[in-house]
Amino acid sequence: MIIVIDGINQHKFSDVLDEMFKLRARVFGDRLGWEVNIKDGRERDMFDDLNPTHVVSIDDDGEVVGCMRLLQTTGPHMLADVFNSILDGEPPLRSTQVWEATRFCVDTKKLGRGRGKNSVSYVTSEVMIGSFEYAKTAGVLDSIAVIDPVMNRVLQRSGNAPYDYLGTAKPMGKVVAMAAMMDCSEERISGIREYAGIEHDVFLTDEQAVARFARSNTAKPANSNHQPLTGLESYFVEQMHSARTKHEVEAVLKLIEALSDRFTPEQKFALLSTPRAFAHEA
Amino acid sequence: MALVGMMGVAAKVGQVKLIDLAAIDHEEKSAADIINSVCEELGFDYASYATMNPVKGDVQGYANYPDEWKIHYGSQGFHHFDPTLYKSALSIAPVDWARFDQDEKFNSVFRDAHDFGITSRGLTVPVRGPYGECGLLNVTRDCSDAEWEKLKKNVMGDLQLAAVQAHDTVMQSGLLSKALYLPALSTREKEILQWVAVGKSQQDIGDILSISHRTVEVHMRSGREKLGALTTPQAIGRAIGLGIIAPG
Repeated sequence: MIIVIDGINQHKFSDVLDEMFKLRARVFGDRLGWEVNIKDGRERDMFDDLNPTHVVSIDDDGEVVGCMRLLQTTGPHMLADVFNSILDGEPPLRSTQVWEATRFCVDTKKLGRGRGKNSVSYVTSEVMIGSFEYAKTAGVLDSIAVIDPVMNRVLQRSGNAPYDYLGTAKPMGKVVAMAAMMDCSEERISGIREYAGIEHDVFLTDEQAVARFARSNTAKPANSNHQPLTGLESYFVEQMHSARTKHEVEAVLKLIEALSDRFTPEQKFALLSTPRAFAHEA
Repeated sequence: MALVGMMGVAAKVGQVKLIDLAAIDHEEKSAADIINSVCEELGFDYASYATMNPVKGDVQGYANYPDEWKIHYGSQGFHHFDPTLYKSALSIAPVDWARFDQDEKFNSVFRDAHDFGITSRGLTVPVRGPYGECGLLNVTRDCSDAEWEKLKKNVMGDLQLAAVQAHDTVMQSGLLSKALYLPALSTREKEILQWVAVGKSQQDIGDILSISHRTVEVHMRSGREKLGALTTPQAIGRAIGLGIIAPG
């Protein structure tokens, strides 16, 4: 289900936003290798400080599994200020009836293949339906989405092909970025709904969203997501288990600290609380 | 902060976009004309356009509310906290005032509004400008829930166009452009201009900020260009005038 977080209700959803920034770090930083700024395992940029709207998908477990960021094209936005090379030197669009969509992603680690409720395809469609319906209600007619060729193919395959592209696709670091145009029309929305088999209202009220997110928000033990350990992590876990004296434990902790730039904050936290945290891996 | 009325000030509009302003067939249209036509063409009781001056914090705009309400609104200082202005500016989408029905500030403004025959049923269309400024088109209509939902569905696109038109009209009028289209200076650029304003040399500033005088020069050049100034004294004058730095 979809929750729309804007500058007015964001104080209720700081935890959801935090999870969303972590999802963006995993997708754009780790998986896609975009040149994004990741700090403390969270991907944020200056546009997140401009009160954009975040369209966020939360699954039945209350976990953030997809998101998209929307900005007006009359004000500061990425195509004008960051991705302007895509536009081949042309000035960007500026219209109250065109919004820009960026940082569109879904959690491919948690979601599976196929077309079911916990699939990449379903959540992609849900985020798209949510953002198009939100935009349409706002009197917005079109959106311009900065995406990569992989997302472009996903859209083409899910009854949601862009109708045009602005400028030309350009390499951005390791990947190619392109500006895809999509109309926020009833036809497009019903096309996506039909493809995904989503007939219900996708939006949660603020209260429903808070309640749903609370389900996932109970304290979790470290490494609760059971990610496979890296070689270095396994080494440290081993060292911790074999440490017999307080002195030896301290020596391992010191080494972890010294190599902390090799871990995400979550990994480091988990390692520092070994052996408890990795009991199930021992 | 001050509430500055600009009723009756003729302002130029570059080109007429979609909202039907054909009824007004003279060349120059003011934001006041636009908000009046929003009421006539789209079926609202009242409309207003407001923008916050980011330098002084003034609220400036046009409204076709009854004069008694405008006077009361200003004298009560509602423009200091009215959430239809401050909260709506945080949204990218039009904000239905129903979102504020639990908001104490909103209720204190609209309890009074009711006494002046003004409904709390309304919405605000925020328009962001390139420099982070925000224009706000507000409309109200006293009607049933069903009528309101239908109206919103039909006119939201037109309201977006009217909002940007009103915003651009005010921006291009020259009345506010100097204050609102504030050059975006970096912290470093502002910092350096501020030190120049208090009489420090380039070498001194480099020492104070622990950067090379060459870096100081680069930032100063960039700051001058952003301010459209040919000389450093001219840039200092403009930066002080715009409230970017304090007088030395």
